[in-house]
Amino acid sequence: MTVPRILRNGAAYLLLVLGAVLTLAPFLLSLMTALKTPLQFASQQVLAPPAPPTVANFGELFGGRYDFVSPIVVTAQVVAVILIGQLLFSVFAAYAFARLRFPGRDALFWVYLATLMVPQAVTIIPLYAVFADLGLRNTFWALVLPQLFGSPYAIFLLREYFRTIPADLLDAAKLDGAGTLRTVAHVVVPISRPILATLAIITVVTHWNSFLWPLVITTGRQWQVLTVATASLQSQYNGNWTIVMAATTVAILPLLVLFLAFQRHVIRSITLTGFR
Amino acid sequence: MRSRDTRTAYLLLAPSLFGVAAFLVLPILVVVWLALQRWDLIGPRTFVGLDNVVAVAQDGRFARSLLVTAVFVAIVIPAQTVLGLGAALLLNRGLRGSAVFRVLYVLPWICAPLALGVVWRWILAPTDGALNALIGHRIEWLSDPVLALPSVAAVTVWTQVGYVALFFVAGLRAIPSTLLEAALLDGAGPWQTFRLITLPLLRPTLFFVLVTGVISTFQVFDSVYALTPKGGPQGVTDVVAGRIYYEAFESRAVGQAAVMAVVLFVLLVAITLVQQRWFSRRTTYDLST
Repeated sequence: MTVPRILRNGAAYLLLVLGAVLTLAPFLLSLMTALKTPLQFASQQVLAPPAPPTVANFGELFGGRYDFVSPIVVTAQVVAVILIGQLLFSVFAAYAFARLRFPGRDALFWVYLATLMVPQAVTIIPLYAVFADLGLRNTFWALVLPQLFGSPYAIFLLREYFRTIPADLLDAAKLDGAGTLRTVAHVVVPISRPILATLAIITVVTHWNSFLWPLVITTGRQWQVLTVATASLQSQYNGNWTIVMAATTVAILPLLVLFLAFQRHVIRSITLTGFR
Repeated sequence: MRSRDTRTAYLLLAPSLFGVAAFLVLPILVVVWLALQRWDLIGPRTFVGLDNVVAVAQDGRFARSLLVTAVFVAIVIPAQTVLGLGAALLLNRGLRGSAVFRVLYVLPWICAPLALGVVWRWILAPTDGALNALIGHRIEWLSDPVLALPSVAAVTVWTQVGYVALFFVAGLRAIPSTLLEAALLDGAGPWQTFRLITLPLLRPTLFFVLVTGVISTFQVFDSVYALTPKGGPQGVTDVVAGRIYYEAFESRAVGQAAVMAVVLFVLLVAITLVQQRWFSRRTTYDLST
């Protein structure tokens, strides 16, 4: 009466493969174009693989004219500094909310949660005004400061996690004479490694991809991050798709590698946290 | 003991308290203040009262951008929800290799929307783009006023389907298999089982995906900026976040952009609160699953 199982599974596979092709095709096509010379791109079929493949575009991209080394270095520095600041200060705040009793705790936590509703498109203009008035426009600090002091989101997740740590463990550390900082460093952090790794990945992905704030607050090449450099290259050399696709490859590939290396972690973390 | 705890707590909270106050709370006050000023990003600011509000109300572009964004959300959310659920049902059949497909589908979501927007701008380019080469027709995907918004929406859906599917996979796994077996024993077909058992039990997941999806899609900027700069052909892809950006940083009418930002903030808070009330009345979503 029903369709045989093998047929249904076959159809399911077909759809899954179709989905995978649709997902992967843009990545492969852009990589293929990045590996063609402008002449190959103009003369060959757009969909034909590069024959022979060349890395000339990447050589040119990192050379003097486009200088894509600097945006990579700037982006990596920004991400590294934000990562350290966010993890450190979010752990501090989350521990206070989860494990200490103090007046104003619940009200304050409510304020932190409420700030999750503040959209970026709203804060960008006032932040620009504040940074301009402080003379911090187009500086490294402008890129990192708004994100450096912990995120309400990370604090919320860590607090949930810290609340599950058995009180005995923390009491034992206290009896051994450990202060708060020592307890956090030697008991809380080691136990919380999975959630911290998850948060680290979320932070790296979010800030590697960040675009609007860097676009607004930096000008010129000095502090240009990778996304802004890619956008500016595209608008400057619109139509030179081989070099533009080399740039998008550079912007995308590091995260793809990071993702594939930690995919179990990321997938679990997405469903755990629904980040972004 | 109590007071020592209090001191420690506030010391630990000091950095994040500064961050929240300076970069999340203070900007809300500053943006309201800026809405009452005239400012061109460089010169002095002058108080102009409600002039900016009047200017924004008279200039039809902000209203248009709200409409554009609403249409964009109305295309993206149903499409990505249905496709995401479909993908999740396929991924949940216990077929060999499902885990690999699941990872592949999430790939676009991990990448910078700006970079993917640039990639798709090439793919959809009229003469030397990959899609037109494939179908052998010259179609102006991004510069035709009718096609531009659906094209941008399609790229957004492509980016997010895998992410949405992840939540549905998690939701489907949480459904006890005994329930499905019982339905099967009672003679229910696959469609009946889906409609009467799976779908109602997925409701928390569905609400979560819809709520977070509407809020984030309403703020879309990066990919639209890359695909159709300056609001696209005849402004048909001029989404709210883009309108605010261009008003402030291209037209240098910061006061008017600030008015728009305030409106956007009020709108998003209203959407969030309405959805949350609806949410809490009907269902609870357990973050720990």
